[in-house]
Amino acid sequence: MSARLRRALVDAGGALVFPLIAIAISFVLGAFIVLATGNNPLTAYSALVRGAVGSPTAIGRTLLGATPLIFTGLAVAVAFRAGLFNIGGEGQLYIGAITAAWLGVTLASLGALSIPLVLLACVVTGFLWGAIPGVLKARFGAHEVITTIMLNYIGINLATYLALKPLRTEGLVPGTDAIDFAARIPFIGLGLGRANYGFLLALLAAVVAYLLLWRTRRGFQIRAVGLSPGAANYAGMGIGINTVLALAIGGAFAAVGGGVEVLGVYGKMTVPFVTNLGFNGIGVALLGRNHPAGVVLGALLFGGLASGAQEMQFSTDVPLQLTNVLLAVILLLVTATKLVELLLGKRARALAGARLEKGLGQ
Amino acid sequence: MDEIFGAPGQLLASTIRNATPLVFAALGGMFSERSGVVNIGLEGLMLISAFAGVVGAFLSGSAVVALGFALAAGLIFALIHALMCVTFEADQIISGTAINLLALGGTGFLMVSIFGSGGTSPRVEGFGEVPIPLLSGIPVVGPALFSQSVLVYLMYVMVPVTFFVLFRTPFGLRLRATGESPEAVDTAGVSVGRMRYYGVALSGLLASLGGIYLSMGILSAFTEGMTNGRGFIALAALIFGRWNPIGATGAALLFGFALAVTFSAPQEVIPNEFLQMIPYVLTIVALAVFGGRAIAPAAIGKPYRKE
Amino acid sequence: MTEERTRGGTAGVGAPVVLEMRGVTKTFGPVRANDGVSITLGRGEILGLLGENGAGKSTLMKILYGLYSPDEGEVIVDGERAEIKDPKDAVSRGIGMVHQHFTLIPALTVAENIVLGAEPRKGATLDLARAIRDTEELSERYGLRVNPRTRVADLSVGEQQRVEILKTLYRKARILVLDEPTAVLTPQETEDLFSVLKELVADGLSIILITHKLGELLGISDRITIIRDGKVVETVEAAGTDEGALARLMVGREVLLRVEKTEAKVGEARLSAEGLVVRSGAGAKAVDEIGLEVRGGEILGVAGVDGNGQTELAEALAGTRPAESGVVRLDGEDVTRVGANGRQERGLAYVPEDRGTKGLVQDFSLSENNALKTYDEAPFSKWGWIFPKAMRRRAAEALRAYDVRPPDPDARAGSLSGGNQQKAVLARELSGDPGVIIAAQPTRGVDVGAIEFIHRQLLEQRSQGKAILLISLELEEVRSLSDRIAVIYDGRIVGEVGPDATDEELGLLMAGRTGGEKGA
Repeated sequence: MSARLRRALVDAGGALVFPLIAIAISFVLGAFIVLATGNNPLTAYSALVRGAVGSPTAIGRTLLGATPLIFTGLAVAVAFRAGLFNIGGEGQLYIGAITAAWLGVTLASLGALSIPLVLLACVVTGFLWGAIPGVLKARFGAHEVITTIMLNYIGINLATYLALKPLRTEGLVPGTDAIDFAARIPFIGLGLGRANYGFLLALLAAVVAYLLLWRTRRGFQIRAVGLSPGAANYAGMGIGINTVLALAIGGAFAAVGGGVEVLGVYGKMTVPFVTNLGFNGIGVALLGRNHPAGVVLGALLFGGLASGAQEMQFSTDVPLQLTNVLLAVILLLVTATKLVELLLGKRARALAGARLEKGLGQ
Repeated sequence: MDEIFGAPGQLLASTIRNATPLVFAALGGMFSERSGVVNIGLEGLMLISAFAGVVGAFLSGSAVVALGFALAAGLIFALIHALMCVTFEADQIISGTAINLLALGGTGFLMVSIFGSGGTSPRVEGFGEVPIPLLSGIPVVGPALFSQSVLVYLMYVMVPVTFFVLFRTPFGLRLRATGESPEAVDTAGVSVGRMRYYGVALSGLLASLGGIYLSMGILSAFTEGMTNGRGFIALAALIFGRWNPIGATGAALLFGFALAVTFSAPQEVIPNEFLQMIPYVLTIVALAVFGGRAIAPAAIGKPYRKE
Repeated sequence: MTEERTRGGTAGVGAPVVLEMRGVTKTFGPVRANDGVSITLGRGEILGLLGENGAGKSTLMKILYGLYSPDEGEVIVDGERAEIKDPKDAVSRGIGMVHQHFTLIPALTVAENIVLGAEPRKGATLDLARAIRDTEELSERYGLRVNPRTRVADLSVGEQQRVEILKTLYRKARILVLDEPTAVLTPQETEDLFSVLKELVADGLSIILITHKLGELLGISDRITIIRDGKVVETVEAAGTDEGALARLMVGREVLLRVEKTEAKVGEARLSAEGLVVRSGAGAKAVDEIGLEVRGGEILGVAGVDGNGQTELAEALAGTRPAESGVVRLDGEDVTRVGANGRQERGLAYVPEDRGTKGLVQDFSLSENNALKTYDEAPFSKWGWIFPKAMRRRAAEALRAYDVRPPDPDARAGSLSGGNQQKAVLARELSGDPGVIIAAQPTRGVDVGAIEFIHRQLLEQRSQGKAILLISLELEEVRSLSDRIAVIYDGRIVGEVGPDATDEELGLLMAGRTGGEKGA
């Protein structure tokens, strides 16, 4: 039993190698950028930390920022476990958002009861939307990286069209009608500011993803297909069906993320709507080594940086956009296998077990 | 007809203007992907160059300096992508996504640092239209094709040049071979890494021409996120054109036409949003029909590691 | 072989030495792939490099070609110490290599492939016309017939090999290394290749021929260097030796280690196929109207040269590859339309030829691998859920029973040695008490201890009345385990013999020569 525990610790430690190196380099780079703007990096970073976790409001802001990223991160992670790249989180989130914006208003008379119904509808639309690249791959061999990218813009345009034409409300800000407060996800309170119970839903989603992947037949198949299509085929598992399902389930996660943004934060879908949550979900997933627990941690880091940036900009004159640069650098470095090898030697790399060397040709 | 498409001359001119950045970026993407490195960072390469060009013009007032800034920015970002994908064996798709986010975050950061606020930069002197004598006098077609910015004329030249380089030079042969089978290239004594660096670097230079044309050819200022998916449309053109310079240019023109119609067609007839979907839908259809894999460079996306 | 052997080279040891490798050592982690290896090659000579798979032949040649750098030792070309850091250096020293797996680019033409990296130029442009002319010239001169304008994707394997040789000649190679060149060739193509090689040495080239096929080497080489476990065992004159002697040197023990075997108690037919046609991934007809029958209590061996349809046959019988036509029966029931899962539930076990990419999910734990086929059955699963604890418990038992080391259900499959991985596969496949077992190359890349263990297990299953189909490239294995031997050639069963058939009989069948219809 203790051997298993030790193995688990070593695995976890190894899994952290890539993320920690990426984060460290990114922050060092960020320090130089701060210096270049004529500020003290320590002051800037301490303000960043304060703004992320320094007060209940700050924590609330962090949780608020992390919530959608947990969903889009899971969308990437589940697909990745099947050996698939889901770059389509952006469009999937929009599909969920427009679903929630429409049904949230339509079902508002049901009050709080409408919330689960709306989110369930997001699961359905996200699942169907996510299944499209899966079917295109399984049936026609069209690569999911390209199709999910293309579907991002199709989804965004579709949602935008619906928000601006059939569902458009009168008013200054273009977008849909506001959803009645009774039918929105309530705030947590506890001094956490605008943080809402959507965060708990995100944690629940991570648990669901974990159980799905490691405690169900379907998850067993998805992981087998992802790690070894040959062996999965040998064992009589269908590659095609698992491809479709993994992408569809991913789509459902991202869409619920969009729904939670609408029901918990904005109360409607405006145009333009939130951007880059889908793309940042990729970073979150990779930082979390495509494990649900890691996804939550990654999302908290991303959310914390975004939240702390405001405080940083307030206390120094470093623009808050710095955090976007830091996040991009983290993503840039988090799969750099050879870099880790150069820094820490081959053994560390083997320990980190980088299974990220799959590419478009797979 | 006219109510949807506007006057034919205008529509043609608008098609060319909309297609130009797509053609540049698609041709750039071709060099990268033919060498075996996926480049979904075209969007970011264009964006950073669009910004760098405006900064150059802002600082110097010279279009030549602006062009230099744009090329340098595109090249540097491309080299970062190459460093990650080739030297550090990072995942190419992740690296490309990161390049996009880096350009978005970086331009946002620098907008505030340099110009004091986000949104739109101060106006700069753009690339004006330079009518070509005689040719621009041809009715309808003349003003549309030959009364454009020098960057458009450069685009006309780049298409055959790209074709020539790719299919008629030793460099092109090596580049194509690298994307098909790095092992074979390696055993033939050609450095796979170097060819891939060249390919990605060229993609940065060409994409930067597309970027600066957006900010200083069509407009005269930089706006945050102004590429607005054009890098991905260029990627779509590259794929729809089956990784061939002529095909990609044709696809870029088609997609440029769709964008032109977006701006001229009245909303009641066809909503904008559906017109904007056209490039993406066509690409998906093309992938489904061709089967995707049979036409892409065989070794695309795979880091090459010597034993 | 009574006729006078016609040797390739006119020169032998007496000729001037063009290449010498001295004391070459190369280690990969704990493995010493080459341990102080020295060889010499004379001008106009064909040197055979003989050894079992994994003996270190390919490593040595990769060092020569600059693909690996040696830990110790030196390479001397034309009397001069050569620093070969990459293939470029090798090429500039006049060394050319034809790899076992071709390094050709299917999307490019023959001429483009040949000139790649050393292109003829006209100004800044590629002079394709000259590339084609040069290719034509070379191919005529040495009888390497191939059309320079054809895309490589459209060539046969034999033609592709010619392109590989032309590539080296275009780069003015004087020393040519061929790594297992005949593995992929038909007998006719092999003859063609050998006559080309004779042309080449007659023209002053020197050739190193790597192979593990004894017979071929005797026919073509001047001297043979035998490598075993990374060391040179001996170098012999081809004229002064025979297959038996070479085999002993190569393996280091008497080859005929017969396994003790009881009399077969043959029962009912349990697995059978009729008129089975299967296509390969590339679309070619890989299995062409095969019929066979395996009865309880017997081992039917399938012998043949690699790539004659063995893989597809096994997969079609196991249900992981669809049959185009024909019938597969399991205990009398037509299971042609039943998938792999269904056949497994009906008592079919399948040890696939490639445990790395098929038999095991390398990054799964042993317990997950042990449940790879039964994860959806009790006690591992209920109502869609799976129970890792139950998997772990069952795996622990199975791993101990089959002596898998370490017997740790949480160990990653990929962390085990080849032999232990294969035992883990056997543990999974055999512990369900299957009635029919398909074992495809069960001992490939496995150490001697594991080989014996696996053989014993198969015989044990046989004595329990199981029907076993053994597909193997190792003739000795097929012969010592099987009760009957079917020989597969070009997707067909070309003959069936008993385990006492002579080498010659089997060899002729494996070369596709049935009943003297084509005189040898």
